[in-house]
Amino acid sequence: MGLADDPVIAISGLWMNYTDRMVLKGIDLKVYRGQIIGYIGPNGAGKSTTVKIMLGLVEGYNGKVEIFGRDIADGDVSYKKRIGYVPEVAELYDSLTAREYLTFVGELYGMKRSDVDYKAGKLMALLGLEKAYDSRIATFSKGMKQKVLLISSMLHDPDILFLDEPLSGLDANSVMVVKEIFASLAARGKTIFYSSHIMDVVEKISSRIVLIDGGDIVADGSFAELREKGREGSLEDIFNQLTGFDKYRDIAGEFVAVMQEVSSHD
Amino acid sequence: MTDFYVLKLLDKLRGGFSRIGVDYDVMRSILQVKLTMDGRRTPTVLAGMQKKEEKKEGSPLRVQWIYLLFGVMLIPLMMLTGNYMLQMSLVFGVVMFMITTTLISDFSSVMLDLRDKNILASKPVNRRTLNMAKSIHILIYLFSVTLTLTGPSLILCLFKQGVLFFLIYAVEIILMDCFILVITALLYLLIMKFFDGEKLKDIINYVQIILTIGITVGYQLVVRLFDIAELSLSFKPAWWQYLISPIWFAAPFEMLIGGARDTHFVVLSVLALVIPVLLIVAYIKLMPLFEKSLQKLSEQGNVGKSNARMVDWLSKVTCKNPVEGMFFRFSWSMMKNERDFKLKVYPAIGYSIVFPFIFIFGIFWDGNASSIKDSNTYLMIYFGATLLQTVVLMLRYSAGYKGSWIYKLIPLPNTAPIYRGMLKAAIVRLLLPLFAIEAIVYLWLFGLRIVPDLVVVLFAMLIYAVICFRSYPPVLPFSERYEAAKQKDYTANSFGLLFLLMGMAGIHYVFTLFMGGVYIYLLVLVVLNLWIWRITFPKNVSSTGRGSSFPG
Repeated sequence: MGLADDPVIAISGLWMNYTDRMVLKGIDLKVYRGQIIGYIGPNGAGKSTTVKIMLGLVEGYNGKVEIFGRDIADGDVSYKKRIGYVPEVAELYDSLTAREYLTFVGELYGMKRSDVDYKAGKLMALLGLEKAYDSRIATFSKGMKQKVLLISSMLHDPDILFLDEPLSGLDANSVMVVKEIFASLAARGKTIFYSSHIMDVVEKISSRIVLIDGGDIVADGSFAELREKGREGSLEDIFNQLTGFDKYRDIAGEFVAVMQEVSSHD
Repeated sequence: MTDFYVLKLLDKLRGGFSRIGVDYDVMRSILQVKLTMDGRRTPTVLAGMQKKEEKKEGSPLRVQWIYLLFGVMLIPLMMLTGNYMLQMSLVFGVVMFMITTTLISDFSSVMLDLRDKNILASKPVNRRTLNMAKSIHILIYLFSVTLTLTGPSLILCLFKQGVLFFLIYAVEIILMDCFILVITALLYLLIMKFFDGEKLKDIINYVQIILTIGITVGYQLVVRLFDIAELSLSFKPAWWQYLISPIWFAAPFEMLIGGARDTHFVVLSVLALVIPVLLIVAYIKLMPLFEKSLQKLSEQGNVGKSNARMVDWLSKVTCKNPVEGMFFRFSWSMMKNERDFKLKVYPAIGYSIVFPFIFIFGIFWDGNASSIKDSNTYLMIYFGATLLQTVVLMLRYSAGYKGSWIYKLIPLPNTAPIYRGMLKAAIVRLLLPLFAIEAIVYLWLFGLRIVPDLVVVLFAMLIYAVICFRSYPPVLPFSERYEAAKQKDYTANSFGLLFLLMGMAGIHYVFTLFMGGVYIYLLVLVVLNLWIWRITFPKNVSSTGRGSSFPG
């Protein structure tokens, strides 16, 4: 794994544009072992694009992305063996049973089927899903699907976890379990890189918060550091200040007014 | 998960796959999962609303009866002896035509599928493996279709023509399948190279139409070049034969069994072997490029709402009931934007364009152009309506089928306006423009005398649309997933509908036999239209109280 202070993720000068607009405008970011990074920003800020670039799902970017010290553009996909990924909840093969899906994912990571099956069964049981192990995922609730996705991202004991809204749909008890899992993984030197819109959670579990807006990093540091730089209040307030958004009362008021408008439009 | 037999067969090729940089074990897992999923049904949101016999897990590789039927029809060709060139060109012409059209209409959506990407590409799976898995997945289906189609003739030729013939035939079938797959993929790649985003999707749809027309016309040419009556004639080499692939595949028979040593046959035989192999090599080399280009398909472009006004106006003209108008506009925009819908339906548009002209084309070919003006051949325009059965069937599927909970949420007294709006949208958006174009060409060919007949045809097509709709079990529009389409076999149904269409042309013909018959028939059709639209979509009593009849 190299020296402890080599970055596991090193992004420099990352630009990305889709046909009609710029999504990322020169992101520079270094991430180290044991960090829990909360990657936050308004909708459409470029969060998932960044993550998808690191996973090799999106190409055509400019700049350099190094993971475990190797440029991911070199065509070798083996770095993905040490990465786990939780996508948005819709993205899994839901006509398979949990057992079939998880063993399949394990096999893609190069594990032996019987090993995966054993491990997945145990992890499912720990999250309270032992009865659902042989049911089709299509019949699962949102929270159950989320647990399956979480398990599928950790089956192969990865060194970096990329998580997109990892707590979505989970009940309060499961949230506590998962948060604890993250903390103890980080303590063992794993890196967790996740994006979320729930500021309270980000505030509590992140060791470092990276805020992007309009394709650019506008704040980077621990919650305490962000507050030291003269930002007052909760992370939510800081978020509002940094993204230059202070009109929420006006917008809400207007929204309700439009809702109740009598149709005079016809 | 069952271990599929075809995967065990594939295991034999493990070494070959590893050599070209494919991670065989990973590819096998992907294929196994894919085949398992194909055999399953995902319960839809509306499952409770429909009465449906839940089928057990079916094998995805079912026998498709229509192909078996066509396969049996190949048998007489296999019985011939003597001239291998003509016989086998014809056989391969038929088979290639069938397979290519199947590939374009049924597998384009698999080939251009992006949905897997986030699940599979985030894992340590290299591109080549991923792409190979996709190609093999399509090939497995393609082979199962081919085997059904050529099976009867394969068995027969083993007894009738001997082992050598059988072996050549079998090997060439495999080469042919690869040839077709690669040619289609390369064509898509070429298009993707030059266009991107939203435009690319449209272009692919147009190419589907053009390809369907091209293959149909090309097939007619092959059949005409070797008139069945002239099968006994000797084969005359010519330069253009190098361009027609069924002829390549016929040459090895002539060379290896017939004993021909002419350079012409040798070159053709070499083409049959070398071109498919070269194409496969090129394909494997270009695979990563293919996947990269696919990414363009996912880019969001601006769809624009330029014709929103027109749709609004159309819905007001055709639908008196506001609920109906709402579903007219909804179906309209879904048909416009749903990529999978277009992938499945546009080849059918190709057929609908080409069928009304193919017979007339034949008459021109035979040099009887002058006789056409006074003939009844214009009844061929009925075949322009074949597109309706595909459209009506496909309207129930959507990639976003899960959104159909909306039907349950909104307070609708009955479903008739939904279906009526949907059907009208399909007619106005797809059938009428097509019919208008065909009608103009027909008017030019046959003269103004057929104007009353064309009006009759239009009204007959409107009835046909309702019958198509009624022949399938009613499912709310865009509420089932496409994968479900594979598990239902409506072949018998579509045959019935085709015969019905011919019957309708027949009735029309009977009415042309006496003075004023067309006008009487027109009156009958108008009344029938009012009746059938009304009983199929009962008036919605509780809404506006205004009835709505279709203003044809």
